[in-house]
Amino acid sequence: MSRTVRALAAVAAALALVCACNSASTSQGPAPGGPSDRAGNARGVSADSIKVGGIVSMTSASGYSKKDTDLGARARFLRANAEGGVAGRRIDYIGAEDDGQDPAKNLAAARKLVQQDKVFAVSPMSSVTFSGADFLQKEKVPTFGWGTLPSFCGPEYTYGFNGCLVPSPGGTLNQTWPEGIGRVLGGARGKSVAIIANDSDAGKFGIRTFQQGFAAAGFTVSYAKASVPATAVPSDWSAYVKELLAGPDGKAPDAVVSVMQTPNNIGLFTALKRAGYRGVLTDPTDYDPGLLAKDATKQALDGVYVLLQFQPFESADPRMERFKADIKAAAGGQDSPPLNMHMLTGYMSADLFLSIAAKAGRDLTVESFQAAARGFSDTGTLVGDRSEPKGQKDSFGCGALVRLKDGAYEVAVPFACHEPIPFK
Amino acid sequence: MGDLLVFVLSGLVSGALYALLATGLVLSYSASGLFNFAHGATAYLCALVFYELHSGLGWPAVPAALLVVCVLAPGLGWGLDRMMFRRLARVGESAQIVATIGLLVALPAAGLWAVELLADAGAPVRPAENQFGLPGVGPSPARSWRLADGVGVDSDQLITWAVTALVAAALWVLLRHTRLGLRLRASVDDRSLTELRGISADRLSSVAWMIASGLAGLAGVLATPLLGLSAHDFTLFLFVSATAAVIGRFASVPLAFAGGLGLGVLQNLVAGYASFAESVTGFRTAVPFLILFGGLLVLTRRARTAGVASADSPPPDHLAGAPWGRRWGVWAAGAGLLCVALYTVTTPFWSGLLAQGLAVGLVFLSFTVVTGLGAMVSLAQATFVTASALVAGLLMSRGWPFVAALAVGTCAAAALGALVALPALRLGGRSLALATLALAFLADQVLFQMRWLRGGDAGWAVPRPVVGPVDLSDDRALGVALVVLIALVAAGLGALRDSPSGRAMLAVRSAPAAAMASGVSVLRTKLLLFTLSAGLAGFGGVMYASYNTRIAATDFTAMTGLVWLAVVVAAGVRRPPYAVVAGLVYAVAPRLLSDWVTESAHLPVILFGLAGLALANDPDGYCAAVPLRWAKRRARAGAGRTAAPRAGTAPGAEPAPPAAPRSGQPSDAAGARPGLPAGVPGPAPSGRAPAPPGTGGTPARRGVVPGPALPAGRGVALELRGIRAGYDGGNVLCGVDLGVRRGEVLAVLGPNGAGKSTACRVAAGLLPATGGSVLVAGRDATRDGPVRRARAGVLLAPEGRGIFPALTLEENLALYLEDAGDRRAVYDRFPRLGERRGVAAGALSGGEQQMLSLAPLLQRPPAVLIADEPSLGLAPRLVEEVYALLAELRGAGCAVLLVEERADAVLGIADSIAFLARGRVSWCGPRAEVDAERLTESYLGVAR
Repeated sequence: MSRTVRALAAVAAALALVCACNSASTSQGPAPGGPSDRAGNARGVSADSIKVGGIVSMTSASGYSKKDTDLGARARFLRANAEGGVAGRRIDYIGAEDDGQDPAKNLAAARKLVQQDKVFAVSPMSSVTFSGADFLQKEKVPTFGWGTLPSFCGPEYTYGFNGCLVPSPGGTLNQTWPEGIGRVLGGARGKSVAIIANDSDAGKFGIRTFQQGFAAAGFTVSYAKASVPATAVPSDWSAYVKELLAGPDGKAPDAVVSVMQTPNNIGLFTALKRAGYRGVLTDPTDYDPGLLAKDATKQALDGVYVLLQFQPFESADPRMERFKADIKAAAGGQDSPPLNMHMLTGYMSADLFLSIAAKAGRDLTVESFQAAARGFSDTGTLVGDRSEPKGQKDSFGCGALVRLKDGAYEVAVPFACHEPIPFK
Repeated sequence: MGDLLVFVLSGLVSGALYALLATGLVLSYSASGLFNFAHGATAYLCALVFYELHSGLGWPAVPAALLVVCVLAPGLGWGLDRMMFRRLARVGESAQIVATIGLLVALPAAGLWAVELLADAGAPVRPAENQFGLPGVGPSPARSWRLADGVGVDSDQLITWAVTALVAAALWVLLRHTRLGLRLRASVDDRSLTELRGISADRLSSVAWMIASGLAGLAGVLATPLLGLSAHDFTLFLFVSATAAVIGRFASVPLAFAGGLGLGVLQNLVAGYASFAESVTGFRTAVPFLILFGGLLVLTRRARTAGVASADSPPPDHLAGAPWGRRWGVWAAGAGLLCVALYTVTTPFWSGLLAQGLAVGLVFLSFTVVTGLGAMVSLAQATFVTASALVAGLLMSRGWPFVAALAVGTCAAAALGALVALPALRLGGRSLALATLALAFLADQVLFQMRWLRGGDAGWAVPRPVVGPVDLSDDRALGVALVVLIALVAAGLGALRDSPSGRAMLAVRSAPAAAMASGVSVLRTKLLLFTLSAGLAGFGGVMYASYNTRIAATDFTAMTGLVWLAVVVAAGVRRPPYAVVAGLVYAVAPRLLSDWVTESAHLPVILFGLAGLALANDPDGYCAAVPLRWAKRRARAGAGRTAAPRAGTAPGAEPAPPAAPRSGQPSDAAGARPGLPAGVPGPAPSGRAPAPPGTGGTPARRGVVPGPALPAGRGVALELRGIRAGYDGGNVLCGVDLGVRRGEVLAVLGPNGAGKSTACRVAAGLLPATGGSVLVAGRDATRDGPVRRARAGVLLAPEGRGIFPALTLEENLALYLEDAGDRRAVYDRFPRLGERRGVAAGALSGGEQQMLSLAPLLQRPPAVLIADEPSLGLAPRLVEEVYALLAELRGAGCAVLLVEERADAVLGIADSIAFLARGRVSWCGPRAEVDAERLTESYLGVAR
């Protein structure tokens, strides 16, 4: 008897599982599990709409969130729809999946968007991990996002909103930062910089690229080490300050370049200032108006030059005005949330997708989209002059420096595009 | 020199935080014997609450901090202790480790979810995202001062130092100079003895947990400006401070505290001067974990020689000996259905998800080996997965075929496993878990940072194989292939379990010392298990990577390994299919929850974490719980059914108690009894249908056994009636009746294994009786635990010495005699004790220890004293002294239940004698009626 009970239970469980799988599926019925390689792949495109979804780290174990990326994308798509959509089709943006910075969830999110929601494109995709990249490539899903990961460099369906930001040997290096610091210091000749990064493989790679970039711009690089522990932020920076400031001839460098994240920068810069350092401090991550809301960060980062690879929010460019208005509209009108780079990431990812889709025109398939992307170019956007497929190999090469002063960012070196140098 | 000073000064800041956390770890470990992996999560939660109160609700910093540290954190500790830790203290070590790991995951998620819900409800909370430069208790931004050239401090540092110093002083006063502290230290020393003295160890454990949580909360609030709101960073911080707890050997608060301070300084010094290791990427990052690993190897050596590996015996296998169909039928059918479903009903999305679940399940099988079979907790499984997948990916990028890369990857993982195991295996339990955790972090930070191995941030492509006509790039085909692989692995594990090596593994698991004595090499067996498990994890890892089609070094981190362990142990690790269920649940549950319950990412995390809570009730996991409970219920029903007809067909023969005592002749009872002299009550009445165990046949028995063991009338201080009791799987007492009057000594004699100590434990409330009743001064006290019994005046002086070895003689006395005058009286009476009042009791001689345990009773005689072999190991002269003391106690009106193996001296003091044999009172009567023959019987344990 017990055996019958068990068998019944097993069957019931199996049925429940099957029902779960089935009812959660969309109405289109079973489809082959292999790549959809029919000619003229128009997944997610209907007569009057294009379905798009995103993947964004909204939550994470480290508490770091990029959720405003979703808001930025929403803002851009809202405007596109308000303007009549793309070639007569409105954008059906179904929102972003949260990948929690977890590789397994990132892939699951990509699978869900493609297999269950059947989106035409993924935009935006912004996370520290992109394990869904191969799957999206295999399923031929145009994907737009923040090109800080190697998966944005090379694969033919993946586009970084300001290009590929991970230089590879044989490619080029964006010279915005060295050139900008040169301008701040009144010329690079005879000036020295110290570059510091986290003690990890990625940190070492960063040291390698910026050491070459700053040297090429004419600086003497007095210190370039990936020495700061990568996992936990040091509570004490005295050891690093001592190393940084002891240049080869005992003279402190003219500029300290940090290739690290905000919490590290806060600690390092505070310690440097406390040790009496008066030179230029600069990093590529601390352009976040949210940091101004707290006295501690405001003070720690005061005077720091921050690199950004898009038009600063402080600029008077009319496109920036429109960006702000769009964000405000998407956030519900009344009070506009403080702007941050995640909003711009989402916004410009959506913008690049829309621009290419517009070029592809009414006959929109993955193939026609890809054809439009090859040879796509425009100028004067919030990320400078864009062109594909160059952007799948290199960054667009543009950027600006802002400086935090008296509790506000001000543009120190205006947004401009620089000639990249080859990366050896 | 200035540098050094700076390094030391600022190292003391993180050192202070380590010290606070480590102190909490040691306190909570002492209170309930479990290493709280969730201690850092508690700190995080407190930091979060502080932030919301201070920045969200706008409270001033100091009241908010006080509320968190003095009320909320202790409240959390109290609640967790009541709900979880108290019960966990009684289950196996791996379940303990896993339950707190589950909590580590669940607590932060619960906090974040609460904030989310509050925000939805319109409360003025701030989003709990990590932000930098969060205000602490002091001014924000911190004010800073320069002490000398290059030496500066800021207000946050000063506050941390001052508060930590204050806490250290307060803890010292509390532990050394208060009654509560004395009791706490006593319960750390010997928990059950504390209870026997009428002090509720549970309440003390609550207090310890409250203090520990308060300390964690304090560390959280102080660390807010430093760590922000990152649960991950808090947990990392905790793992580092575990080193300090190791330095304090999980027992000494001052050592742990000093260790924490030293650790902070050492870490700073290494960061400042370790330029020699610059070429090794990740070395500086890994310093804390190097220290942790080294500390574990060096400092746990002494504990190891004490030989305590986790002796955690497997539960009875209700399916043992069942036919294949019963053992595996359900699972085989499930696998078949799954394969069919993949090709018929599931959508591509769900096929992919199920394939993923199966791939994870394959990895999870490695836990079945190391934790299920070996009872070792490895937190490095994710490392083996990453290692093998990276190696395989590296080889495939060089054009190797999939199968060859898979084989080499698996071997690489196994080799790494062996390498990891060699130094770490000598450690047991939590030390092994911590060591594997340290190694997992070391691998993440050093090994997997090597560019040639990791393949940059993009990692390596691991394309799915094509085997003949089968292309596994179809998720459905991959799913079926995985089912086949899992079946093969499960069959292999089954064969291994039944092989001589498998039996050796089980032997090592259940009783390492015995296994060693039988010629099984414990180390080799454990090494084999660990290597096998690492290889299996590696094998599964390559398959999982091929499901993902890529492996990057950051895909499976040490933290992933923690979560995996929680998920798989919650499901169960005893049998391979449970691991597969865990894998499927891990892959499918979050999707189902987000489709149907809530979009919030936190709920699945909370549920996975809380599954660990269930381990407190079902240490073998939820998969095993269902069939086990079924089997138990059926067995109970079955026992009732089979017992009745047996009694009917064989009247007069009492069936042996279930799982009879070790005598080897379980059914001799009734046959032997008629030889007893007439008039002497025999405990085995004839012609009575036996009642099922648990309900007891007490009333009938009492009617038949009126004898001297049950003195009628008043003055009976303690009475056992028809007591049945035993330990898991075996009855020791099968109906014991004993009674002792005020001012009387009842001596219980019997051979080894007769159940004397068990009877004492039941009488004192340490062991619950399964049948019968215990009366204290005529009041039914059967359900009372040791604390209430002790408070009712029943005191047990347990076998060995009833003292707290780590406390001084004076403190031992003070636990029972609060009044200093009483203690002085003891010293006057026993000058020898007075001379040595400052000596740790463990350093006294055996006789002095026995004196110490009995002497205070003279000052305040208990109603009943149960003395379990007080003469054990004492010289004859000392035995006389002890008995003189007992006689004196009797004179003071105390009822003495004296249990002895040797009869000679006892006869001089006892008023009546009871012989105990095979769990029964075989004879009981006044001393005068005892003759040599009975004595011989009692010694030899023969019942003629």
